[in-house]
Amino acid sequence: MSQAAPGRVGSFEARDAPSMDGLRACVHCGICLPQCPTYRVLGEEMDSPRGRIYLMRAAAEGRLDLTPTLAHHLDLCLGCRACETACPSGVPFGQLLEATRGQLERRGVSAPGRDRSTLRFLLDLFPYPGRFGPMLHALRLYQLSGMQAIVRGFGLLAPFRKLQAMEALLPRVPLPAADLPEVIPARGRRHGRAGLLLGCVQRFFYPDVNADTARLLSASGWEVVVPRGQECCGALHLHAGQLDGFRAMARRLMPAFRDVDLVVVNAAGCGSALKEYGHWLADEESRAFSERVRDVSEVLADADLPLGPLRETVTYHDACHLAHGQRVRAQPRALLRRIPGLTLVELADAELCCGSAGVYNLLEPQMASELGRLKVARIRETGARTVVAANPGCLMQIRQHCRAAGLSVDVAHPVTLLARALEAR
Amino acid sequence: MAVTAPALQEALADITGRDHLLRDPVPLAAHAVDGVTPAAVIRPGSGEEVGRVLALCAGERLALVARGSGRALALGNPPRRLDVVLDTGRLRTVRDYVPEDMVATVEAGVTLDALAAHLAPHRQTLALDPPGGGPRSIGGVLATHASGPLRFRYGTGRDLLLGVRFVQADGTLTWGGAKVVKSVTGYDIPKLLVGSLGTLGVIIEATLRLHPVPPASRSWRVGFPSADAARAGLAALLDSSLQPDRAALLDAAGLSRAGLPPDAVSLLVGVSSVLEAVESQGQALAQLARSHGGHAEVLPDAAWQGLGATVAAPVLLRLVAEPSRLLDGVVAARTAAARVGASASMLAQPGHGVLQLALWDVPDPARLSRDLILPLRSGLEAEGGSLVVERAPLELKASCEVWGAIDPETLEIMSRIKREFDPDGVLAPGRFVGGL
Amino acid sequence: MTLTAPLLRALEGIVGPAGLVVSHEGLLTYECDMHTFYKGAPDAVVLPGSAQQVAAVVRLCRRERVPIVPRGSGTGLIGGAMAPAGGVMVSMTRMNRILELDFPNRCATVEPGLINLWLSQATRERGYFFAPDPSSQMVSSIGGNASTNAGGPHCLKYGITVNHVLGLEVVTGAGELVRLGGKIHERPGYDLTGVMVGAEGTLGLVTAVTVRLTHVPEGVKTILASFPTIEDASETVSAIIRAGIIPAALEMLDEVVIRAIEEGVGAGYPKGAGAVLLIELDGPAAEIEAQAAPIEAICRDHLALEIRVAKSEAERALLWKGRKEAAGVFGRLTPNWLLQDAVVPRSKLPQIMKELLAIGVRHRLVIANVFHAGDGNLHPLICYDDRVPGELERAKQANEELLSACLRLGGSVTGEHGVGLDKSGSLPMQFADADLNFMARLRRAFDPDGIMNPGKLLPSHPACGEGFRPIARPLPAGTWI
Repeated sequence: MSQAAPGRVGSFEARDAPSMDGLRACVHCGICLPQCPTYRVLGEEMDSPRGRIYLMRAAAEGRLDLTPTLAHHLDLCLGCRACETACPSGVPFGQLLEATRGQLERRGVSAPGRDRSTLRFLLDLFPYPGRFGPMLHALRLYQLSGMQAIVRGFGLLAPFRKLQAMEALLPRVPLPAADLPEVIPARGRRHGRAGLLLGCVQRFFYPDVNADTARLLSASGWEVVVPRGQECCGALHLHAGQLDGFRAMARRLMPAFRDVDLVVVNAAGCGSALKEYGHWLADEESRAFSERVRDVSEVLADADLPLGPLRETVTYHDACHLAHGQRVRAQPRALLRRIPGLTLVELADAELCCGSAGVYNLLEPQMASELGRLKVARIRETGARTVVAANPGCLMQIRQHCRAAGLSVDVAHPVTLLARALEAR
Repeated sequence: MAVTAPALQEALADITGRDHLLRDPVPLAAHAVDGVTPAAVIRPGSGEEVGRVLALCAGERLALVARGSGRALALGNPPRRLDVVLDTGRLRTVRDYVPEDMVATVEAGVTLDALAAHLAPHRQTLALDPPGGGPRSIGGVLATHASGPLRFRYGTGRDLLLGVRFVQADGTLTWGGAKVVKSVTGYDIPKLLVGSLGTLGVIIEATLRLHPVPPASRSWRVGFPSADAARAGLAALLDSSLQPDRAALLDAAGLSRAGLPPDAVSLLVGVSSVLEAVESQGQALAQLARSHGGHAEVLPDAAWQGLGATVAAPVLLRLVAEPSRLLDGVVAARTAAARVGASASMLAQPGHGVLQLALWDVPDPARLSRDLILPLRSGLEAEGGSLVVERAPLELKASCEVWGAIDPETLEIMSRIKREFDPDGVLAPGRFVGGL
Repeated sequence: MTLTAPLLRALEGIVGPAGLVVSHEGLLTYECDMHTFYKGAPDAVVLPGSAQQVAAVVRLCRRERVPIVPRGSGTGLIGGAMAPAGGVMVSMTRMNRILELDFPNRCATVEPGLINLWLSQATRERGYFFAPDPSSQMVSSIGGNASTNAGGPHCLKYGITVNHVLGLEVVTGAGELVRLGGKIHERPGYDLTGVMVGAEGTLGLVTAVTVRLTHVPEGVKTILASFPTIEDASETVSAIIRAGIIPAALEMLDEVVIRAIEEGVGAGYPKGAGAVLLIELDGPAAEIEAQAAPIEAICRDHLALEIRVAKSEAERALLWKGRKEAAGVFGRLTPNWLLQDAVVPRSKLPQIMKELLAIGVRHRLVIANVFHAGDGNLHPLICYDDRVPGELERAKQANEELLSACLRLGGSVTGEHGVGLDKSGSLPMQFADADLNFMARLRRAFDPDGIMNPGKLLPSHPACGEGFRPIARPLPAGTWI
């Protein structure tokens, strides 16, 4: 039980060790258990937040080494933070998880069967628009040429589970959209300047969402700035525990948004990471930056947009990093309810992760599928024709699993509906 | 050593004093249990004396049956052996009663009527009302798991007994449970003893949970023209948010014997609360009755006392099935009774699926057994229910089992429990299920 | 103990590889429940999916003389769901389905791992709920509730778990899979269901539970009354009960707790309140209206500073917020505390409150109180700082005296948390040797070889006390006290 070694906290290195206060805040009450998606699926203590914290704390107290099994149980964690929402003691689970992942990463400890190569591939690809763009161009050809139909029709990828999983998630890659103008003027009374984060996945797969976001912000009285050359917020690196890589990306991103009053995000995962810059970089610049970050629904909720009717029945799925990561739940729902003629049906287990969790569904396809199926079952119960979610990963995951289950629903980002309603006015 | 041996008689008399030991044959015959006459009837004056009696019986391998008022002594098989009857009639002190705690501790021989009188000045009550059971002892009511219309809201002895002092087969005075309403200390021994027919221990003292008597009370008789209408009406009552405290269901013959107008089937419903709530629930009840083809009339409170007459027959059967099937049971029982030419009356506990079928003018026992008891029983048992012969002439008891079939694996556990606490078969041997 | 390879293979054969946990890391997470003071890791954990698998596991373990420890959600406070002697822990968490909802018979049959609140959520729309509401109900399992005979704020009116269990399917310690009771309300024979409830897994493992469903009351009214002193509040509780009114819930918080809540959560209690009572009435609308007036009058007679009545569901939640989050805010007032769960007869409530005050003064410690006043079930929290030398000892001493005081007043050593490991040493304070011996023999009838949760509930020798080890860690909001 030695913690005496200098520069160490039990089995951890002192640098970026998970916070001891955070670990101690857990009193083992178990309120987090029913909210945890992996606990719902497996029912095992070590794949629950309480169990994971117990293991992290055991490591911090030197009672447990950093082992591959420990890595495995942390790998299975979605990082959805539903446990933080439930926890009455305020345990900062997400930060503890990411710190511990960092420690394991640094020590080179990984779970048996963990697909490190896929993770590395994704981390080297997604956050770099310069690489991601051309890759998607190739994928677009794959789709338009009819090759995708052949591959899917004959199940050609069946022997390559990982590839098949990735392929199944692919939405139709849109033609490259014209870049948004660098500045879009505000309409009506000007509140200030809002910088728009384009997001790595959003800008390629759902460029319309970015365009709609800009349009809505402008209509709400914000001058929209789209900084050129912005890259990645670093969320994927953060969630994977690659803290140094994450910090480097953060440092590259922040200057692009120097001149704006708000940094507006329409992807839940990105927003959550940006709001944590202050914690992980721990300096004046990053703290001040995080203070200025808003999800688009937070901004629009304060505005008075003139919305026309949309006669649809929709249901709203809470993206984890918006509901749990940022505690934003009411605003998207309130905005949807403001659309005349729109019926919003509450989704049971709306806050339960759909299984997307960043690139989790590419790394742990079995658990992700189980959660996807659970989500589809709930969606089916609502009878809604459209599922609304504020994160591109969720949209892809939900769409794929609905299709696999033969459930015909559309998926849409909240701003897509709001923009249509704006138009209808 | 035979129990008539003078030395043993002396030993018994030493415990309670000669005045409380009955040995002469004529009065002894009156204390027979299912036709088996004991050699002595003893009336201890304290729990300690009960302990010494049992210790003596255990030492001499005697068989003992305990009795309170004796009104339910017929429940059970005839005892395999019987030497001593222990009468709890002298254990009639209210030991402890703190009105504010709504808990009372009473000796086992205290009768329901005596306890009620004791509690009435404080406007409290023990919510146990087996029909005609006023003169019955608490110990007997608990040991036989007797219950009445108040079961609807308050449950039975299992829900009302908090703590129990009893004497084991070897004479050891033992305590189980607690004296407070909320306690989870160890095994719930009170639950074990309720309904155990004195086969695991003789109850000498009971700590009971009481309830306040609400300011107002009113009762109604909801008459239905048919079993079908009654079925729907009862289902509606059970599915509503009405909060009656007592309920009973009677057929025409049952109503008649209880001195009430004989609709095909009637629900008796009692509501106790503040006056406004009683009145508004009465209105809701009347409305419910009307929408199911029935009619509600005010019933004098005293009518509940008359229910004992419905079940005071020479043969009394207890049919238990799923609560939702109660009216089916009424119909089946009526049909079977008609088939054997017996006149029957019924009193049931709505919401609990318990139906007491009283048979008057019984034809020959063999026919009753073959054409009514066994068919009804096998129908009930097929659905997980039961038919228990609560009271019957000896020759009827002989031709059909009293308790019916018990699931063998459950019986095995019960046997182990009996063997654990009464290996020598001192307490009421053979009277209970499976011959325990 | 080390489990042999053949035994582990046999277990795997029963529950499948995905149902067996043997890794060091996995077993570590099962070494305690919420009472982390008591730690004991099992040698294997199995997660069965059916009663047949449970029976096979028990039979195997009986043959091999390996102890079995059942576990539900692991949220108990008595050192129940941990394995002091190692052995096989049987986690019921994967058996969590609702097997049947039977509204005409007003009952439901569920697997033991089903979370308490989920049952009520499934039945509420149809107008029914499962009445036992321990504060842990959002995570504790119905099997766990049955095994510990759980209480809760509303048990004042509705009764405790045993009053709502109609039947159980169990695997006894002898390995028999039997159905006790069921949707039929009585059966000839001994009440084995009644004995099994609250047996804390020492007689057998519960594999299915048939419970009573209660109709949702027509109306509910929640009142918060504040008083100058705890004595005024205690007398008010007594007076309400004396008046023949049994509210659905009757909870009390004292000024230490009130101060902590105001600092932490801010529920808006009035200044200078020495104690508050949270009184909830439910039932027919006319009844609760008619009961509220006398209750308010009684409160005023006892110098109530303020009486607040919730006018909406949101307001009701606000009034309860303070009560539910009470324990969670204690970190603001004290670094450590010990939690007690004891009972006194209602009539002795004012007296025990005085004695608690005296005990606190005597040991120079603050004792805070938040509890189910209506049935005399106390949860005193003794505040201390383990960095101050001797303070933990004084706290433990105060704890012992507190328990003795409750017993002296005719109470019980545990009201709702159960015995487990934590209170088994205290049972001799309440039961004589003959009584404990009777219980031990009952246990033997169900578990002839003593493999079911050994060391729990009954003291190892009736006359030996093991010393009391209460919880010593800050508790979060919503902790079930």
